[in-house]
Amino acid sequence: MNIKIGQYIAGDSILHRLDPRIKIMSMILLIIAIFLIPVNFLPKNIIWMVSLFVFSLSIVYLSGIRMGKVLQGLKAIVFLMTFTFIIQLFTIQPAGETPIMVVPMTLSLISIISLVVLTFFYHYLKPNIPWRTTWFFLYVFMIFLIQWLVREFIPNYNLVFSLDYDFSIYPSGLIRGGFIFLRIIAVMVIASLLTFTTSTIELNDGLESLMKPLRIIKVPTYIFSMMISLTLRSIPTLLVETDKIMKAQTSRGADFNESTLRQKIGQIIALLIPVFVISFDRADDLSNAMEARGYIIGEPRTKLDVYRIKFKDIFILSIVVLIMIGLLVSNFAL
Amino acid sequence: MDIQFKEVGYAYKGFKELYHAINNINLKIDQTGEFIAIVGQTGSGKSTLVQHLNALMRPTSGKINILGTELPGKKKLKVNHLRQKVGLVFQFPEYQLFEINILKDVAFGPSNFKETRAQAETYAKEALKIVGISPTLYEESPFRISGGQMRRVAIAGILAMKPHILVLDEPTRGLDPQGKDDMMDMFYDIHLTENKTIVMISHDMDVVAKYAKRIIVLDQGSIVYDGPKTELFMHKDFDKFHLDYPTPMKVLNHLHETLGYPKKLVLSNEALLKHLKEVSK
Repeated sequence: MNIKIGQYIAGDSILHRLDPRIKIMSMILLIIAIFLIPVNFLPKNIIWMVSLFVFSLSIVYLSGIRMGKVLQGLKAIVFLMTFTFIIQLFTIQPAGETPIMVVPMTLSLISIISLVVLTFFYHYLKPNIPWRTTWFFLYVFMIFLIQWLVREFIPNYNLVFSLDYDFSIYPSGLIRGGFIFLRIIAVMVIASLLTFTTSTIELNDGLESLMKPLRIIKVPTYIFSMMISLTLRSIPTLLVETDKIMKAQTSRGADFNESTLRQKIGQIIALLIPVFVISFDRADDLSNAMEARGYIIGEPRTKLDVYRIKFKDIFILSIVVLIMIGLLVSNFAL
Repeated sequence: MDIQFKEVGYAYKGFKELYHAINNINLKIDQTGEFIAIVGQTGSGKSTLVQHLNALMRPTSGKINILGTELPGKKKLKVNHLRQKVGLVFQFPEYQLFEINILKDVAFGPSNFKETRAQAETYAKEALKIVGISPTLYEESPFRISGGQMRRVAIAGILAMKPHILVLDEPTRGLDPQGKDDMMDMFYDIHLTENKTIVMISHDMDVVAKYAKRIIVLDQGSIVYDGPKTELFMHKDFDKFHLDYPTPMKVLNHLHETLGYPKKLVLSNEALLKHLKEVSK
């Protein structure tokens, strides 16, 4: 299964050894910083964006995790990123600006037919192509290329009907698209680095510790942290159980890969109901087992993991805080 | 027609290196008349091996021929029909139930193989009769019957597909002694009446000694013994297989060590009693 969030990769890098509270705080600060950079042409903001992007990629090296592994997690949002980028290019067209380039395009009978052919071609070859993300980008590029080629080089392109339009790229659109693109990647990389380098137990301890101030206003933080840790703990169990049920139903002839939509719905029911039954059973067992070992929700317990802030923790946090201050000073000059 | 394994291996992708669950398995299982028990320690690769029998898993090395279909084969090779020919009952199969009533759940298998509705229901009723679920329960929800009955319904779900070979992964796990005997007698009946090959994984050596004809011993992913049960328990390397003796053998071995009774292959209480009487004469 291709689930990257919440996957801890064991290691011994400086990021792995950081205090989880510091890691969570730094992540939140960095993400806020990335979103605080104003989107405009000012060189300092472009420099800020690019350098924060490079910074987030460079901490991947600090973590000792392969770059490919981190980028793999981005695959799921490639479509979203491409889509937003193109939407930005299309929609941001301020009146006062001159476009960088104007590309005449058309949606006519010919270009629609060729687009359909292209789509078939894309899906037909997709299973056999190892570099699918590149293949997808190529496909998106071809969509526009075909529309341009038809308009430029086919004399009677407006046969039957045609919808001509100019695809003009404005500097603001490009900047906006680029900013959003870099933002999404940087935020995803930072968030996945946190989960890659922090085990769920540490993560939970960190969250609980950070939420401590909320106890003053009577927020039951221990319930949240127990809920989070039990949820995280049950994910692998659920995946294993789902896999088992999937195999059992496959043995009864259910084909999860190739079937019509109607059959698929039936098969999902055949999968979901047993998984629900099992997870309720397991949850029941677990809560009984916890009570049998003396756990009462809300009662004070001895904390087993004690974290101490070390020099490197302060060092990393101060770097992040410095970045934040620098950004604030340069943009919102106090 | 049969199932043939030629130097079959299966390796999981581990965190850093490959983990070989089974390796170099050579095996031949006839479509009729066999009653095979696969035994071995936890983690010896038994479950991995049986999941190859209906192509749920495809070998990463070597070749398998399942009733005429060659595997691993091409990636897109359709293997769904093999699930019908080789019925696989998983551990705790009661967890696979999901339909609103028992009859529908049992008919899920046959309807996946495009039987007509009437035909699927006939198959389901036949299967339910074999496992001993009374017709009054057909319209009952599968979640409202007892655990033992749930397991029988789940097994009927496999039987209703009319498999040529029946594969059972620890069918008696978690059952009480009486339930265990009933369950195994049921499978033995199926084996006798239809001359159907049954392959079963079991940790219970009493069950194995009583029902199986042929025993396959797995140790760390390799077959270390494959032959009739009569030879296994007298095998000179038996201690190396990390297996338990069936209860009558244990009793006799104890008598041999303490009172010097002569050793002999006794697989049932009756055989043990007979042997003891002969000796005491």
